[in-house]
Amino acid sequence: MGMTAAELKERFGDTVFDSVEVEARGEDMVEFALACGETDPCFTDSSHPDFQAPANFATKYHGARMLPSDFPKFDPARMIDAGKAIEIHAPIRPDTKLTAKSHLHDIYEKTGRSGLMVFLVHRMEFTDESDELKAYVDWRLILRGGLQ
Amino acid sequence: MSARSYESVEFGEDLPEVEPDVGMENVKRFCRSAMMYGPRFTDHEKAKKEGLPSAIVPGIMSQGLLGAIIHNWAPGCTIKSIDTVFRAPLSVDSKPTCRAVVTDKDDDTHSIEIDLTIVNEAGETRVLGTAKVEL
Repeated sequence: MGMTAAELKERFGDTVFDSVEVEARGEDMVEFALACGETDPCFTDSSHPDFQAPANFATKYHGARMLPSDFPKFDPARMIDAGKAIEIHAPIRPDTKLTAKSHLHDIYEKTGRSGLMVFLVHRMEFTDESDELKAYVDWRLILRGGLQ
Repeated sequence: MSARSYESVEFGEDLPEVEPDVGMENVKRFCRSAMMYGPRFTDHEKAKKEGLPSAIVPGIMSQGLLGAIIHNWAPGCTIKSIDTVFRAPLSVDSKPTCRAVVTDKDDDTHSIEIDLTIVNEAGETRVLGTAKVEL
């Protein structure tokens, strides 16, 4: 019998298991914005006095690990991407070094027509060099059948 | 400061529909900026070998398209959050439509909530979500 969502949350919840450093490059911010159809020069013109990354720019970053190293093993084919959310706390400026720390923000389960599903909410917390919070990026993953 | 005032926004107001550019060249441009090098996004034939109907638009690009229609509707607004569900793949080189509607207003914070969808040519919802925006 695998672990329940409550047991997983008790063991793994809110523990940082990964930390990476990335650089938000100005030219990438412009290209990202233009490809998405942004027209406001504060997103598309790096010489604009309020130049900043478009709202969901931080979603492009990944950590080194998706789950804690000691997380129970499962068949990756049973995992589904259930969506992504970003909560913006401060603009990301060009050529900022960001630290992204990952933890499992929530773990819960639902039972639907296709049976048990465990939801894992992988949160990356982005801060800059002065430790100012920039954004949370939540990636929701569904594990069909739970941990069998 | 937003070019669109909080008072001028009506509950239930539709934002202008947008037909975003999800052609191959623009998706490749996005992928370079996002460091997404998987061929499923940039090569129809390789995507088909992975069992997909065609190359697919990255989910976070869909999210960015939805963010842009908000910014273009209310320049200077501040998107506080965007939450999206990637219900089904959106094909590269297709002709989708982005739609958005104001579903809530908060007088205390001058913020609004917007429901977001991207539908394909057949009218099927491929991406849906919600944004919170300060005006």
